[in-house]
Amino acid sequence: MNLEEFLAMEESREQDELIDLRGLDFVSEYDSHLMCPICHCPFVDPVHLQCDHVFCGSCLSSAITTFRSADSDDFPCPSCRVPAKEISTSVPRLLINMCDEIRVRCPLLTEGCQEIIPRGHVQSHVEKYCGYRLVPCPDDSCDKMMRSNDVGIKTKCMHAVRFCSRCEENVVEQDFEEHESKLCPVLEVSCAHCLTVVTRGELDAHVELCPEVAIPCSASKYACPVKIRRPDIKYHEQICPLVAMGPYFEGQNARLNSLELGMRHLQQRNEIFEDGLANIRSTLVESTRVNSNSHNNRSSGQSGRDQQPRTRSESTPDDSEDLATSIFSSTANSYLLSLHESLREQVGQLSHAITDLDARASMTIMNESLRLKEDMALTNAAMNSVRMQVQWLMNPRLHQAPRGTVRANNTEGTRTQLDSSASTAGPSTTSAQSLGFLRPRRSSDTGREGTKL
Amino acid sequence: MGSVKRITKELAELTQSPPEGITVELAEEGDVYNWKIHMEGPEGSPYHKGNFLVKLSLPTEYPFKPPTVSFVTKIYHPNVTNDDKGSMCLGMLRADEWKPSSKIAAVLQFARQLLSEPMPDDAVEGRIAEQYKNDRPRYEEVAREWTRKHA
Repeated sequence: MNLEEFLAMEESREQDELIDLRGLDFVSEYDSHLMCPICHCPFVDPVHLQCDHVFCGSCLSSAITTFRSADSDDFPCPSCRVPAKEISTSVPRLLINMCDEIRVRCPLLTEGCQEIIPRGHVQSHVEKYCGYRLVPCPDDSCDKMMRSNDVGIKTKCMHAVRFCSRCEENVVEQDFEEHESKLCPVLEVSCAHCLTVVTRGELDAHVELCPEVAIPCSASKYACPVKIRRPDIKYHEQICPLVAMGPYFEGQNARLNSLELGMRHLQQRNEIFEDGLANIRSTLVESTRVNSNSHNNRSSGQSGRDQQPRTRSESTPDDSEDLATSIFSSTANSYLLSLHESLREQVGQLSHAITDLDARASMTIMNESLRLKEDMALTNAAMNSVRMQVQWLMNPRLHQAPRGTVRANNTEGTRTQLDSSASTAGPSTTSAQSLGFLRPRRSSDTGREGTKL
Repeated sequence: MGSVKRITKELAELTQSPPEGITVELAEEGDVYNWKIHMEGPEGSPYHKGNFLVKLSLPTEYPFKPPTVSFVTKIYHPNVTNDDKGSMCLGMLRADEWKPSSKIAAVLQFARQLLSEPMPDDAVEGRIAEQYKNDRPRYEEVAREWTRKHA
């Protein structure tokens, strides 16, 4: 059957179970293999899983409700954690028989039933055969319960109150017999020590005073072994050395107690101090370690001095006071050193930053200049091409120039026209006019200059 | 209450035939859920000759929930926390590792086993575990020292 069916079945069974079979007093020894691993009792209504592990039905159902993860249809076996889905209620008859065979005491032992029966019979014994089970009182007017044993013998109600004529006390009917024969305080009994006959009611008072009763010496708590008759004890106490020393012992005891208390107090305080000391020590050791580490690289002498307390602190933690003083003396020194160290570190960081910035600046400058150079080369190329064009344009003019100078006078008129137009734009009309003759020559000059570029 | 029945049974077994070096009693009469255990340090370990007081508390859902073990006596051990709780980290006591069929006797024996063979990989005190792995003589010295002082 699957989990849901099993849980439902267990729930219905739990309701009609009358006797707790696990609470029984087991008399006979039983094999540990007959024991449910969950409740450690012989199996009750055993079931088994696919992995062949056997449990009590009710134990398994509570294990399922505890271990199953949110309504999944399997759960881990409580013994081997193999996932199990199916639960089988058919276990070998042999196993059930062996469990039912185990001898137990009747659960009504408290009522007086001394019987020892096989566990399998307990249910029927308690329900039908046990003489100590409680049944309703045969008297209809009485609503109390009584033992089934008593019902058979007497048919009257055992709960009625009966009056004992001797001791003038009221006793319930069912206890009357016992009262009459044993318990009534008027009955005469003899003292076990002095054989005097007294009534039961006075027996306790008699024993307190009976001269034959052996009582221990009052120093028995200080190990006096004497235990003699009451009249003789007084004499013994006078000579007993332990009695004489009693007050002294008492005083010593009180002193010991107070000392112990004080010691406990001191121990607690000591523990607190030790803890505190350990804390301080560990922080100190850590700080010295940091210091010595930072000094290791540069000054070997300093690190040597620092490491000395460190190694010592590790090897002998008990030697705390000595260590603490040595550490304290070096603390100021090491503090200054660490301050120095941190400052040095800052300086180093700053210089690093500066070199970094420097490198970056030179990089940008180089980049910029490269671009400018490129631009310049471009402009140069453009200029060159312009110059070539100009030269090419000028060439025909240069060739014409010799002839031009011959005809200069003829062209004078037109040139003056040109010059006048130029003079309106330029500031020096005269120079332009005087240059007018040299123009072809100059243009060739500029052309030569261009080639130089 | 199924748990009380089983716990009293286990307690009776442990008091009748206690495992080596372990004595068990209830911390308080009438409360079966809290146990007081005296554990002797196993021979050959730095805890030898120490007598450790261990507290074991059982949940009401026992045996479906695992018990918890803590050292009342201070102990220098990688698997025991070095605070006022002294809780012990046992693999089998983790909620997902626990099996209802495990017995308290097994738990206690395992705990004592852990004293002679710490498990630095499951440590709760990383510093001690480190020392156990790298500087065994030093660890043993401190553990012996603590045992002498506290146990």
